[in-house]
Amino acid sequence: MEILKETVFLLRKEILLEWRQKYAISGIFLYVLSTVFIVYFAIPNIQTQAWNSLFWMVILFASVNAITKSFVQENSNRQLYYYTLVNPQSVILSKMLYNTILLMSLSLLSYAAFSLFVGNPVRDMGMFLLAIFLGSLGFSITFTFISAVAAKASNNATLLAILGFPLIIPILLTLIKLSADALGLMRDSSIDTDIQILVAIDLILMGMSFILFPYLWRD
Amino acid sequence: MIEKQSWWKALGVIILLYVFVMGMVTPLGSGILEVEPRSIESGTQSTFVVNTYNTLQNIESTNAWIRLDSVNAIKAKETKWLSDNQLKITFDIPTYLPTENLTDMYSLIISDPENGAFVRPSALSITQKNVNLEAAANDEAFTNIEGVHIKDKMAFPFRALIYETIRNTYFHVPLWFAMVFIFMASMIQSGQFLRTGDPMHDLNALSFTRVGVLFGILGCVTGAIWAKNTWGTWWTFSEIKLNVSAIAMLIYLAYFVLRNSFEDEEKRARVSAVYNIFAFVAMVPLLFVIPRMVDGSLHPGNGGNPGFGGEDLDNHMRKVFYPAIIGWTLLGMWLSTLMYRIERLNFKLMDDE
Repeated sequence: MEILKETVFLLRKEILLEWRQKYAISGIFLYVLSTVFIVYFAIPNIQTQAWNSLFWMVILFASVNAITKSFVQENSNRQLYYYTLVNPQSVILSKMLYNTILLMSLSLLSYAAFSLFVGNPVRDMGMFLLAIFLGSLGFSITFTFISAVAAKASNNATLLAILGFPLIIPILLTLIKLSADALGLMRDSSIDTDIQILVAIDLILMGMSFILFPYLWRD
Repeated sequence: MIEKQSWWKALGVIILLYVFVMGMVTPLGSGILEVEPRSIESGTQSTFVVNTYNTLQNIESTNAWIRLDSVNAIKAKETKWLSDNQLKITFDIPTYLPTENLTDMYSLIISDPENGAFVRPSALSITQKNVNLEAAANDEAFTNIEGVHIKDKMAFPFRALIYETIRNTYFHVPLWFAMVFIFMASMIQSGQFLRTGDPMHDLNALSFTRVGVLFGILGCVTGAIWAKNTWGTWWTFSEIKLNVSAIAMLIYLAYFVLRNSFEDEEKRARVSAVYNIFAFVAMVPLLFVIPRMVDGSLHPGNGGNPGFGGEDLDNHMRKVFYPAIIGWTLLGMWLSTLMYRIERLNFKLMDDE
């Protein structure tokens, strides 16, 4: 219960911090908008298939950019201060939750921008929103944990991509399949299994980061 | 002299020797390479020249059937061996066949006491001018397939396209199995390191990962050679299993990059142990779940199921295949203990300085 209380507190701190220095979050939102704009200019008549792939590519790179700063942004002294106060699990949990919320809003914004500039081929809205939710969760869990790993090393921006991209591929492939279903590109009777697989991957990775993070922050 | 605690290394080598010898020496079963002509018309007397593989010519009664469906077959009128690997078969094909299609592909079955029975699925096609099921039903030319000589000699199954390359089953497939076991051992060592803080466990994990990557690369190379001989290409990106194995290699190559980006040894050991455990857990859905989700794999086991078994692995192959998994795993363990000893010496040298 202590962890839960601490998590909520840290989550509020993250949001408050973001709210006070708005340049980081507005930077990310601007990044998404300009990427969508480039997609719009680069590919005039976009097919549904390409829409699906590009959408998730934009989300993927925006996520990496948004999450890189999770552990890098705060200097090590301040982190040391947190660690004397709270459980390490609360730290990683609050960061993951915060990043999930951030990525959700990022994805919804990209979706809005895509619909505005490129077109909106989504047929099954519920399925698409579910994909966005599970995707944000999965991206957030993986990249938050990997950024915690990368933050320990020098040269961590490159490291985040090297370590994170291969690990994200199972999630990304499942997501593209889910959203292809939502876009009416394919009818698949096994889509429920895919949702279960995605939820299972998210939960397993979350459990692993929960177990492993305490070993990571000790310095 | 073999040390007492090294018995498993000797065991691994003996098992692998058995695998190499049995895997290479055991012949393929008899099979049908080619049937000439491939298509005929009904209501004629047709003579086929069949090129067979690993057969001996036989003066005794060689039987042959064209299998039409589960109850109907046409028995050969006459069979004659031209040489060890060539058989001439004459059939009287009735005018009407018990099928609603004008043209269909049928299997050819050959059987004799010396070579046993062997089949070529979809060996030839028969075209009939009209369909007359009633006439076909009353025709007495159609028989059951009876008196097939099943001969259980030690031989690997003869498969069209694969032929002799079926022996690669004892290299390509067990290397992947061994790779997964070795990565698992590496993960366990990393866990031990986090629990105890003993740097030796970290060096062990590093050695295991190196051998795992080596086995992964060997698995890719043996697979590429196999693909070149059966699919006609070294590598194809439309094949999901090739993609996921490449990604698995990337995950573990990133492990080495991560290790190299630390100056401090204790920190390097700790962070890479954490990543190693996380990477193994993330790799499991990649290797075992994703290939099942994607349809249309060229690998054996269809319908998106990468399972390996049934017709692809008969009892004679199991006798070599399962030992091969154990043998390759033990060899990997041995390799990694050698690497571990080098690493440990380096570690001690650094400490002394």
